[in-house]
Order: sequence, then structure tokens, then C-alpha cells
Amino acid sequence: MSGDGDPVSEVAPPAPDPGRMGSERLSRLREQMRAQGVDGVVLMHGPHVTYATGHVPEAVDASHANHRRAVAIVGAADGPVRLHAHDPVSDAAPAGAEVGGPLWPELDEGATAVGAAIAEVLGDVTGCRVAVDAVTGAMARAGVLDRAELVDASRVLVPARVIKTADELACIDQSQRHTERAMAEARTACVPGATRSEVAGAFLAALRDGDSEPDADHRNVIDPIFQPMPTRRDGGPRTSTGHVVFPTGVDNPVFADGDLVWVDAGVAWHGYMSDFGCTWVPGRDPTAAERALFDRWMAVLEVSLAAVRPGATLGDVGRAARAVEPSETPWLPQFYLAHGTGLESAEMPMIGTDLGAAFDDGYELEEGMVLVFEPVIWSDGVGGYRAEEVVAVTGDGWRRLGHGHHYEPFGS
Amino acid sequence: MSSDLVITRRERVLDAMAGAGIDVLVLGRQDNAGYACGMRRLWTAGTRPFGAGCIVVGSTGRVHALSSWDDGIEPPMSFDDLYPLTWNPRIMAGSMAAIDGLAEARLIGVDELTPSFRRAAAHFAPEADVVAADDLMAGVRLHKLPGEIQVIVESCAAAWTGVEAALDAPGHADPAGAAIKALANRGVTVPSSGIRAERRDGGLAVDVGVICDLYEGGVGGLFAGGRRTAPAALAGACRDGASHADLAAAATSGDWLVRGLGMGFERPVIGPQIGFGERLQAGMVLSVADGDRRDVVHITASGPVALSERP
Repeated sequence: MSGDGDPVSEVAPPAPDPGRMGSERLSRLREQMRAQGVDGVVLMHGPHVTYATGHVPEAVDASHANHRRAVAIVGAADGPVRLHAHDPVSDAAPAGAEVGGPLWPELDEGATAVGAAIAEVLGDVTGCRVAVDAVTGAMARAGVLDRAELVDASRVLVPARVIKTADELACIDQSQRHTERAMAEARTACVPGATRSEVAGAFLAALRDGDSEPDADHRNVIDPIFQPMPTRRDGGPRTSTGHVVFPTGVDNPVFADGDLVWVDAGVAWHGYMSDFGCTWVPGRDPTAAERALFDRWMAVLEVSLAAVRPGATLGDVGRAARAVEPSETPWLPQFYLAHGTGLESAEMPMIGTDLGAAFDDGYELEEGMVLVFEPVIWSDGVGGYRAEEVVAVTGDGWRRLGHGHHYEPFGS
Repeated sequence: MSSDLVITRRERVLDAMAGAGIDVLVLGRQDNAGYACGMRRLWTAGTRPFGAGCIVVGSTGRVHALSSWDDGIEPPMSFDDLYPLTWNPRIMAGSMAAIDGLAEARLIGVDELTPSFRRAAAHFAPEADVVAADDLMAGVRLHKLPGEIQVIVESCAAAWTGVEAALDAPGHADPAGAAIKALANRGVTVPSSGIRAERRDGGLAVDVGVICDLYEGGVGGLFAGGRRTAPAALAGACRDGASHADLAAAATSGDWLVRGLGMGFERPVIGPQIGFGERLQAGMVLSVADGDRRDVVHITASGPVALSERP
């Protein structure tokens, strides 16, 4: 692929330094807290806890994650942060965090202990501005944080998280490469007659290959999507978007000869998310019409990447993409041309959402931001091509995260 | 899932709202939303930021859900009850304003409170107080319907598929990987607590927790010679009226947890450090873990009934 980016790296990325990553993240978080006059944060959303402490909660169902929440409490001044966790806490993980016993913020019986932990770290919060992910019903009934001025934690976490440190980028790179390796197994399994779940099983089992460290294992965080697409827009479920429905993520279809299968998966390593997308053709070679879709898709990707550099706006990149496909916006209307990734998939910055042109034109790219491009080229009657490419914004352009070359059976 | 079950659950939610004087419920938790509307969604792991995933309106009896398409929804919900995915808070506020019965609400219950939702509610329901209703939903979900028991039994049977595959895995193979593949071949790729398998003490310690058709199933144990080594002493103590002390006395290890099981992890939660005021009640379904052993039991008037028997 041409562009301003570095050539594809065949060697593994440098290993991240978890200790350095943790202290740099905490500095960025506190910088935002001080800039916005936030005296303390009480975090209960897993990715936010990870950002503040390095502790990565297990990738379990939300009902389990909610009840067994890890809680991080951070004051704006320097000093240790507090981590309360149910899952085992790796010695290496927390960035100088004080580790306390598990809290139960969901339960009325546990709310008092949450209030006590907050008071231990932040003192009397009367009149203080405290950023929270949420206040549970139990905390509200017990009056925890009643006397503080509450703001959404995303106000400090989003701007802190949007610029990635070198170690964070290394984590995304590693996560992406591991996902790509496991996807090779899944692609072999994706043949006519196989079910979605069988292909997902091949992927999920392959993810475990090479995982030896229990604290640094690769954790699947999205039920992997292998969705055979209709060839016509109106061939799927009813939708308000005017386009095809993707991802449905709820059925277990059997792949047939002739399918185009859209693939989407996300795996976390040290909490950092990969985002793998591509289009597969089970059991045959792509037709000429399907190859033409891919060629147009690659053209959109290349002009988009050519517009990526510090100082360019999201609007600049979106306009570049639209210019090569003037007849129809080349991405799904409910989503975006590109989104960020990090401790969550679909972080900021997002290009081409329904936040609108003024938002995109007012948002400049900076070095250290991550973009996952996911254009879609659709031709009614033929079907669609969709894949994803993960890049980091560098000082003068972009570089790929992951090994790349994942477009088989189309080009590389 | 049968529509009857979805309808019965919805009626339970509407009855509880009427009893508590709550006009509108705004549910952000996937399990609460699934209970109220039956919608199946793409599974993602971990906590999620609060958002209006499902809205139950008492005055109309309608249940609305956040989705741009009608895949995964169950009758009586229809396409017209959906509001679309958006990144734009103003568009979302417009969707809220278009829901019948929301603007007039005086009391809105939510399953998690956030500063931004309070701000938004002041616009789309200016007369409303926003209150916590997580306990209302927990109360509704506490006693299981016969249809729910049936789905939980099926989910537990699926969990056993993973256990058997782990036990059958050859000595050099990854038993958890074998369990994952066997579950996937049965159509199950969504974990609840996850899949753990570890060779130790001359046997294989396995715990499988999965979600099928929105309901959790699970089983665990230290297996030697293909059988679980520990008896289900704690499960046997899960009777109507049992207290924390009763359960603590029956537990054979210091590492025990008795908690509600249905659409995932539910209340009550009773363990060595929590749940001192709880009393078990007939109608509850519980995940009962004691050391490596884990069973799922239904408390009936005549005692605990295991739902996770080996098929």
C-alpha cells in the first residue's frame, strides 16, 4: 500500500513497559483533572479502572462485571490511587496503586464500604467536584457522594485517553497481530456448510495459543461476528438506516456457496483492543464484480490515509474518502469512516458520524491518536466489501498497527 | 425463546412499576433490558457506560429499545417500538421526545444514575424526578418463572458439553480450548463467568459459565476419574429461609459464594464477607460455589432441586 506510513513491519512490535505505561496514563488523567477543576474521580467502568490503575478486570458478561466491579479512586494531587478489585491483581499491574479488598457497590450492604473508601482517599467531598462513571442504586440510597458536585468521568477520561503513549500503541499492535494469527485458523474453518459458531470456536480456541502469562492473556471481548451478507440492501432485517444491517450478532447462520461473509472481532491484551475486519468468500474465489468492490474499497482507504497527519481535521479525511466515491458515502450510515480504539473499541476520534460536519471540521488529529478505518463499498445485486485497517497518527503521517496483509482472498 | 415468557416478564415489570409509582423505566443494563423486552444483542464483555438501552412506559404499556433494526427482537415488540443508534445526544433527545408517555412522566426509574442522564431527563421529561430502580428490577427477577427454569436447565446442559470436552481432551491438549470448541459446535459462544480448566491434584478442575438464549448456565468441579470429587453439601443447604449462618456452616471451604442466577449474575449475593442479612426464598435460582464445586439449584417449597445435573 502506498501512503505516508512506514512500510509494513515484519518484526514484532517492541514490548510495552507496563510500569511506564501506568505512570504515564495516571499523569495524563491528573493533568485533565486539574485542567477541569476535578478534585477526585471514582471509577467503576472497567476500561476507566484500567486507565487509572493498570488492573484489567476479567472479560466476563456485563452482569458479572457489574456485580464484581473493580473500583478506582484517584485524587487530583499526586499520591497513590486506590484500587478495589474482585479479580486477582497482578503485582506488576497497578501503577503504584494501594490495593484494597473487593467492594460491592451494587448491593445495599456494600454501599457504606464504598463511601468509606472514597472518604479515605478523597477526604470529605462536600462541595468538591467529583467525576463518576455512575452512581449505583445502592450508593444513591446510602447517600454516597450526595454532598459532592458530580460530573461524568468521561469528561476527563476521554481527552486523557485519546492520545496514546508509545506503550499503549505497542499493546494495540500486539493485540492486532495476535487477532490476525487466530483469524487465519478461523478462515480455514469458514467453508460452505460450517456455522458461524463453529468458525467462532476455531477463532476463540486459537486465541489461546501462546498465552502463557495469566495476567497478559488475550481476552475476547466481542462475540465474534461472521455474518453472511445479503446481496441486496433490502435482503436483510428491516432497518431505519437505509443500508444493510451489520452487525446483527444474534443468529447462527450456516455458510453457503456464494456468500460474502463480513468478519468483525475484538480482542484485548493488557486491556487494549484489536479490531479485525475483512470480507471472506467461503469455498470459492471472488468474482470479478466482487474484486471490483475490493479495488474501490482500497482506493477509499488509500486516499483516506493520505489525508491523515497531525493538524488535519476529521472533516478533511472524510471529504477525501467521499471524493473517490461521490455517488454514495462509502461507510455505513449508523457508524463511521473511522473510529479510535484503545481500552475500548469505538473510542474517539470518530470520522463521519451523525455528530455532523461541524464536529468533524472542528476536531484536529494529533500524534498518538489511533484510527480504525472501516469503509464499506456496496453495489446492490453484487453485495458489499468491508474490512478494517488500524493505524496510529505519527509526527508526519501514519503507521499501521498490526501486521496487515489480512485481505485474503482479495489483495494483500 | 417463547413469546409467552417475554410477555409474562413484561407484565411483571409493569406491575412492579405501578406498585412503586414509577411512570417510566430507563434501563441501561443489558440483563434488565433483556428481561423487559427479550431482545438479543451482540454480546460484548465487561461493564458498559449507562445509556438508554430500553424504555418501559407505564401509561402505554409499551417497551421500547435502542436499535436501528428489528433483528433479535421478540413479539410483542415491533419495529415501531425501536429508536435508532446514534452518537449525537441531540438526536437521542429527539428520539426520547418522540416516545409516548415520556414527556409527562413524574417519576423515572433508572438502573444506574449518571450526571449526564439527569441533565438529559430535565429536557425530555421536565417534570420528572429520576430515582434508582435497580432494586425494583432485582425484586422482579428474584423469583423465577417456570419458563425461565426451563431455559436455565438447557443452559446448564450446554455448560456440561464444555465440561465433558475438557475431560475428554488428551493429556497434551488445552482442556479449556477443547471446551470452547465443543460449546461453539453446539452454537454457544457467549460466556457468563467464562471457561476455566486446570489440571491439578491428580484431576481436572473445570468451571464453565455460559449464556444461551439470554439465560446463564453453569457447573464446576474438581473431576477425578471422570467424576466430581466433592459432594454438593452447600447446595443441599439452600432451602427456603436459610440464613447466612446456615450456608456458612454447610460450606466445606473458605471460598464459597451463593448468588442469584438467571439472566447472568443476580441477587442475592451471599459469601464469607457479604450477604449477612439475606434469607433464601423458594422460587430463587442460585449458583452455589464451594471450592471447585459449583451447582445451579432451584429452591422449591420441598427443598433445593439441582438444575445442573449431568445430562
